[in-house]
Amino acid sequence: MVESTLFTIVFVLYILAVLFYLAAAFSRNDKWAKPGLGLAFAGLVLHSAALLVRTFESGHAPFTNMYESLSFLSWAMVLAFVLIDRKFRIPRIGAYLMLIVVGLVALASSPLMPKEATPLVPALQSYWLWLHVSVTLLGEAFFAVAFITSILYLTADSEEKKEKMDSVSYRCVAVGFPLFTLGGLVFGMVWAYKAWGTYWSWDPKEVWSLITWLVFALYLHTRIVMGWKGKRSAIIAIVGFLAALFTYFGVNYLLSGLHSYA
Amino acid sequence: MSSKVLIRGPSPGPRRPSGMDMRTIWKFFSSVKLAIALLILLALASVIGTLIPQGEPPAAYAARYGQLAGLLTGLRLTGLYRSGWYLILLFFFAVNTIVCTLARFPAKWCRAFRPEVETETAGLLALKFKGRFGKNGPVEEVRTKFETVLKAHRYRVRSQAGQKRLCLLARKKMFGLFGSDAVHLGLLVIIAGGVVSGLTGFRTHIDLSEGQTVKVPRSSFEIRLDRFETEYYPQGMVKAWKSTVTVLENGASVLTKPILVNKPLTHKGFSFYQTGYGSDWDNPKLEVTVKKKSDPSFARTVQLNVGERVAVDAKDVSQISVKRFVPDFVIGEGRRVETRSQEPNNPAAEVEGWKSAEKVFSGWIFANYPDLEQMHSGKPTDLSFVLKSYRGSEYSVLEVACDPGVWLIWVGCLLVTAGFFLAFYWPPREIRAVLEEGRDRTEVTAGGIASKSRESFQADFEDIMNSVRRS
Repeated sequence: MVESTLFTIVFVLYILAVLFYLAAAFSRNDKWAKPGLGLAFAGLVLHSAALLVRTFESGHAPFTNMYESLSFLSWAMVLAFVLIDRKFRIPRIGAYLMLIVVGLVALASSPLMPKEATPLVPALQSYWLWLHVSVTLLGEAFFAVAFITSILYLTADSEEKKEKMDSVSYRCVAVGFPLFTLGGLVFGMVWAYKAWGTYWSWDPKEVWSLITWLVFALYLHTRIVMGWKGKRSAIIAIVGFLAALFTYFGVNYLLSGLHSYA
Repeated sequence: MSSKVLIRGPSPGPRRPSGMDMRTIWKFFSSVKLAIALLILLALASVIGTLIPQGEPPAAYAARYGQLAGLLTGLRLTGLYRSGWYLILLFFFAVNTIVCTLARFPAKWCRAFRPEVETETAGLLALKFKGRFGKNGPVEEVRTKFETVLKAHRYRVRSQAGQKRLCLLARKKMFGLFGSDAVHLGLLVIIAGGVVSGLTGFRTHIDLSEGQTVKVPRSSFEIRLDRFETEYYPQGMVKAWKSTVTVLENGASVLTKPILVNKPLTHKGFSFYQTGYGSDWDNPKLEVTVKKKSDPSFARTVQLNVGERVAVDAKDVSQISVKRFVPDFVIGEGRRVETRSQEPNNPAAEVEGWKSAEKVFSGWIFANYPDLEQMHSGKPTDLSFVLKSYRGSEYSVLEVACDPGVWLIWVGCLLVTAGFFLAFYWPPREIRAVLEEGRDRTEVTAGGIASKSRESFQADFEDIMNSVRRS
């Protein structure tokens, strides 16, 4: 009850944040951005509270079904965004990223997602659940910011803006890629070994996280060694995020495998 | 040698020295373009492997893909991750990683550990981060001040004195240079671990009933299942499968431990995982409720095994027994009773009534259809029966794995993680300066080198320059 009330308030705060950021982006007046950040931050605080309440009520990590993991992913995206925005202050990122967040929260709240907290099946009863899922989703949240900034790079009209977007995009990959590698691949392998007795089974979710990893490895090598920047980098980052999105979402609904729980 | 070889052989001429070939191979594998091509190819191949179901029987592919099935199997797309061509891609990836890393390593090593302190001012002024100013005082005094500032910023300083000039080299976080090498080495160790796992690893399932002892394949010990329990949540979902297992060596028990999902047991390199359970219906525990048509208030539940006779308090029979139990009742060919599966979808028991040695009646009762009961007998019986409960003896399915390659995987993971930290969060910084003796002051020319996190370095560099100027 408390959690769903909090979640509704969070939803409203995020919508308001989007409105302010859109106003800032389209009026080209940064005075609207400040309340936007404030609202996003307030939403983040209440969202954290909602996740904590959920954890205490269910007695387990708040990402064991689609509703919970969508909620956690949107939380991680707002966190990534608040950190990035504090440093770079680009309202346009806020407008589009918060729009995606609102979409995710709306999807989580929709009747499609069963919301009741169910007890943990034996396979998920492990502290690696915390480490594996939270760190992976945090990495994916930074990929989401890189995705937005890459799109903004492609649509930007001035060189100055483009350069800024390119740099923010790289920063996000530089944070997201190590997190994704550690959480998704390393912690995933450790947990798989503990639960199934094999660290790698070529399960579709494993393969898709490897594909995501290869795409971002490509991003770094083309950029650092071959000096690719700008447009080509932006396109690789977009492909990488789409691969991560498919790993997170598509694999569950389109392919079958060991990761059937979420 | 046959003439065929000559015809196929290269055109006559001076043979190239083999060293040249090695150089060509080295050049091929040291190319970053190859790395990029391999990353793309591996990603695309992996995508295909998730679109086509892997490792299914040929009939499944024939049903799904029709005539294409032969092509898919021929190209090994149905067992893609173990196919020769995927492994060759991985092998190329490994060699490419080794060669690229080695090719770049000596220069990095020199930069980190045998740096050239001597610098030309012209070179410094060509750098992105630079500063030039004059400072009152002799070279030695300026040098001391400069070094103090640099050390306060955690730089390690070397110097080299020349004629009327002094070169300073200040550096920090140089290990960051080796971040990518650590990641590459880690990946190679992980690939090596995968090879070791693939060649020497071994895994199999064992089914164990309570009290059963089996020798663990390829090992010198046995394990016995003492107890298998399934715990449920109040809502009815499975909370835990728990096998209490004893390890026996030469018949003597060595240790007893419970195995749960996520909590394996490891002994002498063999690990045991709880992966499932099954029910054995050969000898189920049954409960049958006996009722009397003449006395609706009479109901007595008896527990019995198949084949066991149990006394009942009735006029026409003295004992009842269950002749047979099936978990999934179906009438098969020749009107014979069979079981459709090993799942308890339609559990049924064949009940018999006895008066001393004489069989009075018999008939099937169904747990899901209590009203279907009909006893065949010479004369109608007063008794009726309900199959109240049935429990197959559950057995535990354990996965046994022995993987000598796994420690390499963890070492590789540690290297990759440490490498990422170094590469992204330990950016090397280098500041070079030349102090020259001017007419009445010291001329300072400085330049900074940083390939990563340049914004933060710029602030650092400017701060250092201002501090030296003001000191």
